[in-house]
Amino acid sequence: MLPLLILSPLILLAALGAVWKARPVHAALLLALTLALIALLYLAIGAYFIGLVQFMVYVGAVAILIVFSLLITRPGDEAEEISRRPSSLLTGLICTVPVLAVLFISLIRANPPEPAASDAPSATLQQFGEKLFTTHAPVVITVGVLLTAVLIGAALFARGVQGISSSEPFESGKSLPP
Amino acid sequence: MISLPVQTASFPPVTLENLPLLPKNLVEFLLGWVGAPEWLVYAGGIVATAGTVVGVFLSAFALLSLVERKTLARIQNRLGPNRAGWFGIFQPVADGIKMLTKEDIVPAKAEWLLHLAAPVLIVVPPILALGVIPYGCEWTPVPLELGLLFFFATGTLTEIAVFMAGWASGSKFPMLGAMRAISQMVSYELPLVISALGVIMVTGSLSLPDIVGKQGGYHLGFIPAWNLFTPWGLSAGIIFYIASIAEANRCPFDLPEGESEIVAGHMTEYSGFKYALFFMGEYLGLFAIAGLGITLFLGGWQAPLPGLGFVPSWIWFFAKLAVVIMSYLWIRGTFPRVRIDQLMRFAWLCMIPMALVTIPAAGIWTLLRANGHGLFAWLVTVPLLVFPWIVLTIVYNRCLAPATRKYTFAE
Amino acid sequence: MNDSSMEPTTSINRLPAPPKSGRWIVPGLGLFQGLMVAGRNMFESYYKKERMTTIQYPEQRAPISPNFRNFPFLCYDKDPVAGLRCTACSICENECPPKCIYIVLDRDENGKSLKRPKVFDIDISVCMNCGICAEVCPFDSIYMDGEYELSNDDRFSGLLLGLDRLSKSAEYHMQLRPEEASEVMARRKADEEKKAAAQAAKEAKAKADKEAKEKAAAEAQAATEQKGESA
Repeated sequence: MLPLLILSPLILLAALGAVWKARPVHAALLLALTLALIALLYLAIGAYFIGLVQFMVYVGAVAILIVFSLLITRPGDEAEEISRRPSSLLTGLICTVPVLAVLFISLIRANPPEPAASDAPSATLQQFGEKLFTTHAPVVITVGVLLTAVLIGAALFARGVQGISSSEPFESGKSLPP
Repeated sequence: MISLPVQTASFPPVTLENLPLLPKNLVEFLLGWVGAPEWLVYAGGIVATAGTVVGVFLSAFALLSLVERKTLARIQNRLGPNRAGWFGIFQPVADGIKMLTKEDIVPAKAEWLLHLAAPVLIVVPPILALGVIPYGCEWTPVPLELGLLFFFATGTLTEIAVFMAGWASGSKFPMLGAMRAISQMVSYELPLVISALGVIMVTGSLSLPDIVGKQGGYHLGFIPAWNLFTPWGLSAGIIFYIASIAEANRCPFDLPEGESEIVAGHMTEYSGFKYALFFMGEYLGLFAIAGLGITLFLGGWQAPLPGLGFVPSWIWFFAKLAVVIMSYLWIRGTFPRVRIDQLMRFAWLCMIPMALVTIPAAGIWTLLRANGHGLFAWLVTVPLLVFPWIVLTIVYNRCLAPATRKYTFAE
Repeated sequence: MNDSSMEPTTSINRLPAPPKSGRWIVPGLGLFQGLMVAGRNMFESYYKKERMTTIQYPEQRAPISPNFRNFPFLCYDKDPVAGLRCTACSICENECPPKCIYIVLDRDENGKSLKRPKVFDIDISVCMNCGICAEVCPFDSIYMDGEYELSNDDRFSGLLLGLDRLSKSAEYHMQLRPEEASEVMARRKADEEKKAAAQAAKEAKAKADKEAKEKAAAEAQAATEQKGESA
């Protein structure tokens, strides 16, 4: 209970900062902080594998992706100005209020089971792995195929846009990748 | 109430093997003898353990900075620093004093909070990662069941810190440097993790002490059963080695911090102790990832020959660590820096396919050996690993020829 | 391109010739060769002189070549005051392009020149090390020195060298530039011998003249005596 009490306000504050801050870089870093704190919450309640994977995938890949795109595009003052306009607030409210309503209603209506008395996780890593690759194997394979297709598509797309390849001659007017 | 693993009953005997555990045992025993509550004894033990690890590796960092300069100097036909004491032994002290007394300059355009937080955040992940590596058969500071996953998770925190350093400085060199550094780290993290996957598959556990324990024993009486001495292990080990050089931003992959390229990359606007923290973070990260490589492929604290079991196991670990670090220095002194596009092409076109090939090779090897077909295992896995390498070499040879350039001039 | 006569003939690192384009590149061989070169450098630097070319200044100094010239110095033969070759003729002062030399002639109480300088100052912050003063000196007295450790913390008077700092012995000159110094010493010795020989010849001639004169006078005396006797 104590970790939840300490971490929840921090998570909420970081998330609020992530959506409220006008400067994109600050918002991105606060989003990374939110995700890291959620990982800490997972670790605190005993789901070690999920917590570490959350860290690796969300903080280490998703946040890095957002941050990297910020570095490349380098949004200037117009991004701050856009996010301060009232119309942006309206768009945000239209997107988030229905989602929040659904979550809230489902939380009220759900009947949570009695909390388990043991404090050790009920599934070891071995069982987790076995479950994932036997019962839920079709899902894993489908996701893998999708991701591979995305990767190949992205590589081909990048190649086609720049026009740089080892077989084509280099045109001096085109720009090189950074 | 959770029961804490605390040793208050009696003081364990001091042998050469658990000499590094002495601070922890001493603190716990003293606190228990004085009559402190259980949580205080536990906390004291934790502090002592962390203090041991940090103390050992910070002094190793100081020693390494001197050894590196002298070794690089000898490779480059010159003497290293030899004025600050007999053979320059006090040079790290002099460097520390210099760094501490330098003025701390924060550019006016920089965001001072992120600028301050970045070097602090870059030292934390390597120290965390150093805690899970098994240094001796009785000395793993934090024996986690998911130790390997924890290690890779802390590695991703370094990338966020590099971005913060680059962005918060507010000038173009750090931003460019941060972009290149992040892309390099992310690209080379893939071969790193995939080559470790083979080891996890063979061992069946993510726990680092288990991985080291599985590499005990000797084939034919004198060849150690380390993972490096198997075909898939050799391939995965070489990939891990090269990827670790790139992850630690060392030459030949030190484009983010090469002075002739980009001043100092994401560390340009830092002076004084903050720069020393970046330096320290890089070297501690080097220790951590070298330690992980030794754990996964070189048998950790296992002795290389059967009769040498009387030497304490942590001495073997540190001997192997010294050999691996010296090889890093050797490589640094020999090779020129690679360009960013060469770096990326190497990671995505060469390292990742080879790393992906080692996983089925590891699986086939283990399966065939478990069923008794030892020779067949060799006959299948070696071509499985060599053939893609030859194909990639052919592709690379074609790519290395300079493309014909067509210059268009303004009409 | 692979002409062996154009390659530097260092024996330390001999790498094999790079493969011609279009040939098969053995993967990793170049890396291995590079590592071996670096490793050899490291191990042999402990005992081979050509692989450790560092000179530990200030305990050791690099040898300077005889062609190196820095600022001028004045040469004396045996005594720094009496043997100073300089006669204060001021040719070097007039020929110096940046006018860094200042000479005051030493005169006795009657105003007659003593053929030596009372004051000879060179401002080495002005001197441009051209060596013209050494070329034009007719008395073999000013030469270019090779001393480079002249740092001073006084920008003005610390860089003004006087007679005491500039006078150096002929043995120093011999040590600094053996060829030039030995040629100068040989020439001076030959000049002195020629002068001594001319002096000796002149004295001999004067002595011979005197003797001839005495002999003529004696003969004349004898002739007049003989004539007086016969008359």
